[in-house]
Amino acid sequence: MRAFTVFALMSCWSLSSLQAFEATKGSEILAKAIVATGEARAKLLEEFGNESSFGDAPLVESWRRGEIWIAKLPDGTSEAVAYNGKPGTGMVTAAKLGDGKMLTFDLGQATASNPDRASRKLLTKVGNVIALKHPSDRNRSDAAKQLGLQGDEDGLRVLQELLPKQASPAARKGFEEGIALAKLKLASGADKLNAVNKLGDLASLTARDQLKGLLQSETAKTPQDQVLIAAIKKSLAAIESRQALVESGATLFRGLSLGSVLLVVAIGLAITFGLMGVINMAHGEFITIGGYTCYLVQTWFINMYGSSGTAFDNYFLVSLPLCFLAAALMGWFIEWAIVRHLYSRPLESLLATWGLSMIFQQAFRLKFGAANVQVASPSWLAGNYEWLGITLGWNRLFVIVFALAILFGTLLVMAKTPVGLQLRAVMQNRRMAASLGIRTARMNGFTFAFGSGLAGLGGAFLSQLGNVGPSMGQSYIVDSFMIVTVGGVGNIIGASLSALGIGSVDQMLQPLLGPVMGKITTLLAVILLLQWRPGGIFPSRSRSLEG
Amino acid sequence: MKFAKLTKLTALFAAMAAPGLSKAEDTVKVGILHSLSGTMAISETSLRDILIFTFDEINAKGGVLGKKIEPVVADGASDWPLFAEKAEQLLTKDKVAVTFGCWTSVSRKSVLPVFEKNKGLLFYPVQYEGEEMSPNIFYTAEAVNQQATPAVDYLLAEGYKKFYLIGTDYVYPQTTNLVLLEYLLSKGIPIENIGGGFRKDDKGEIISAGKYTPFGHTDFQQIVAEIKEFAAGGNACVINTINGDANVPFFKEVAAAGIKSDSCPIVSFSLSEDEFRALPTKDLIGHLGCWTYFMSLDTPANKKFVSDFQAWLGSTSYPGIKKESRVTCSPMVLSYNGVYLWKAAVEKAGSFEVEKVMAALESGIEFDGPGGKVTSQKNHHLTKNVYIGETLPTGQFQVIKSFDGVVGEPFLKGTFKKK
Repeated sequence: MRAFTVFALMSCWSLSSLQAFEATKGSEILAKAIVATGEARAKLLEEFGNESSFGDAPLVESWRRGEIWIAKLPDGTSEAVAYNGKPGTGMVTAAKLGDGKMLTFDLGQATASNPDRASRKLLTKVGNVIALKHPSDRNRSDAAKQLGLQGDEDGLRVLQELLPKQASPAARKGFEEGIALAKLKLASGADKLNAVNKLGDLASLTARDQLKGLLQSETAKTPQDQVLIAAIKKSLAAIESRQALVESGATLFRGLSLGSVLLVVAIGLAITFGLMGVINMAHGEFITIGGYTCYLVQTWFINMYGSSGTAFDNYFLVSLPLCFLAAALMGWFIEWAIVRHLYSRPLESLLATWGLSMIFQQAFRLKFGAANVQVASPSWLAGNYEWLGITLGWNRLFVIVFALAILFGTLLVMAKTPVGLQLRAVMQNRRMAASLGIRTARMNGFTFAFGSGLAGLGGAFLSQLGNVGPSMGQSYIVDSFMIVTVGGVGNIIGASLSALGIGSVDQMLQPLLGPVMGKITTLLAVILLLQWRPGGIFPSRSRSLEG
Repeated sequence: MKFAKLTKLTALFAAMAAPGLSKAEDTVKVGILHSLSGTMAISETSLRDILIFTFDEINAKGGVLGKKIEPVVADGASDWPLFAEKAEQLLTKDKVAVTFGCWTSVSRKSVLPVFEKNKGLLFYPVQYEGEEMSPNIFYTAEAVNQQATPAVDYLLAEGYKKFYLIGTDYVYPQTTNLVLLEYLLSKGIPIENIGGGFRKDDKGEIISAGKYTPFGHTDFQQIVAEIKEFAAGGNACVINTINGDANVPFFKEVAAAGIKSDSCPIVSFSLSEDEFRALPTKDLIGHLGCWTYFMSLDTPANKKFVSDFQAWLGSTSYPGIKKESRVTCSPMVLSYNGVYLWKAAVEKAGSFEVEKVMAALESGIEFDGPGGKVTSQKNHHLTKNVYIGETLPTGQFQVIKSFDGVVGEPFLKGTFKKK
């Protein structure tokens, strides 16, 4: 009991940076636990559970990430320090965990420490109890549910104690769910029946397995049992129907997010192929340039600031304009060196850009190696937001916003700027535009660079969702052409709608047919659609393909 | 007589190709058959490297039966029919005494008839689905009962009650998951607690268990959401047989969905230290792996092996070997063990003839490898130690459980009876 009620130190949730911090009682105990092993460590961790506050949670997280090191001191003792740099040799200075004071130690003698599985299990329980006082409603209610799921008396008592203190309805619901979950295991008779009903009212997905198990183990001997079984069935039905609703909402969101990914990937091609008519087989490699630029920026940030923390998290924002610039510069150069000679010969531009794509891939292989490279996501893209039971990943939300921003940015440039006007004029009729005094050659270069830059931006984003490697562009090139063709060549709005449509259809088919058949069916649908409307959904009257 | 001809040929070749090198009678030709280009090159190049290292190590100590090993390297180029052609070439043209090679099951299936027809000998080093035992192949690889079922045993002992199966759509994951389905049912796990879905044939017999994605799949949103729902009630874990780089988007999605290794661990059978070099290890912390060797094993034999390999990387002049940030992993060690077992078998038989060497291997040969003692068995597999480890932020495994002397058993389907 004491284990859960003594929250001696409730410091504030400001301990996010490890560079310097106030020592708490929790951090002192944790420092001892990290240096200890086996039984002694388990005992200290238990003590840590009693004495720690949620301010210590970031320390636990750092420990998990391998950012706590054990430094060997000259006098033979060991000390836990917060160090998130690379391994190496020589003397470095970092904050001691125990008292927050700076300590200079020999890095060559120090080792990174990691909590073993047994320790982590202990920390989970500790973490749940600590998190019951977390300032965020979501964390509090998640912790309450987890504690309820464990179903022990101590946990139930803590939950009941803390329930009246919950002001927000969301947190209250979480605590009620946690209490009902615990009672499902612990209580009997009317209490149990109430818990079952409560879980049905809350449509608790967490309780589904337990309720199902209960349904199998209960036998209807007495009238009370029958009532209980009926209640369980009713609650399960309520949970299932809510889950079906949540699933359809989630499918819509996933379709939107996949559509956004496809749009981000294809919008560059919608310009170089759609508007300019260059069958650009090297489009995928401009995406790869974006991915590798992101990787290089990340590596630079790791060398400068270590592999976590606020400074590191900014690397992605810094890399975005650089990815655009790198790909755009390369695009401008390629246009000048190769593409401009082939405007009147579309099939040869296909071959030339295809060859170019292979040259690029081999160059990436020579520079970065055949294996993929690691790109870590910044912490602000790593979590998720839950809305009405639907999990919305931050990276997914970001890609949707990002896709919209790119789309509107592009449309604005095209429709509202003098450059856009000239661009459209050149794309519609090159010779007429030239005779009106527009420098068509420069316009071509600019447009190709712009399209390539957008592909680079797409690559930057893909680095947060998937692989960065020499052939990453190849996995997107078919999708990109498909989207531009289905949307109607030369029509950016069409391309975005087709991206959205294909994304949604794919996500709706996946639960029914599985990923393999789902993809095949989507491609079949695209073929049929193009048979029916060869010009795509929104055929444009651009002359770009007529040469 | 055949052997004399072989040495004559070797002599001729050596005299033409490398005048001034060691005397021709002193060499024996050994084939290496791996993909050095194409999609599998990422994984298989490491095996070529470790084999060359092992040959150098053996040659420095006097070779096999007094003969230096002369490697003949063939590139399968991730092209399965080409594997068969190259195997034919190695056996009939180069007349190698033994071949070390193949990674994917489909490449092994392609070369199998070639080795059987030409009475060759192949050592296969990568975990596989079993259900095969060719008289001309020796499997140093992990069989399903040396990787998948020990991992499940561990998870059952940890109290996990729900298992979600996911893999790439090809022979290894499909077969392994069917075996695991039988195994889990035999351990009393009800079928509704096994996630990922089932496919049944006309008679209602389950022919496929688990969720499958194409090679190089990029969008795991739907699957991860399903896993999250599956795991909502606690006590759930995931068994992952996704191959290759599709693991990156999978684990990124898992991290974004907030699935933690503490509450829902993922045990992966195709991810070793070598693959971790290209994965976001931060997203993998605490998830599990199961192999018969880990680079982090704290034994003198392993420490020596790792440091010898690193030293060799620094000094070798063999072309095309990447020297920076190299690691060792289970398929590499199983290749290494294979070479030493072959050497011991040849020395026991006193001959390079395939039949005699195979008979020596079947009689049981022991070798103290970096992953512990291995013993060759009559059924062409190895008895070896199995380790379960959890992923550290550094891309290494920390051993959390080990099973000593597990006997390799290729035929498992249908052996587990439902209780």
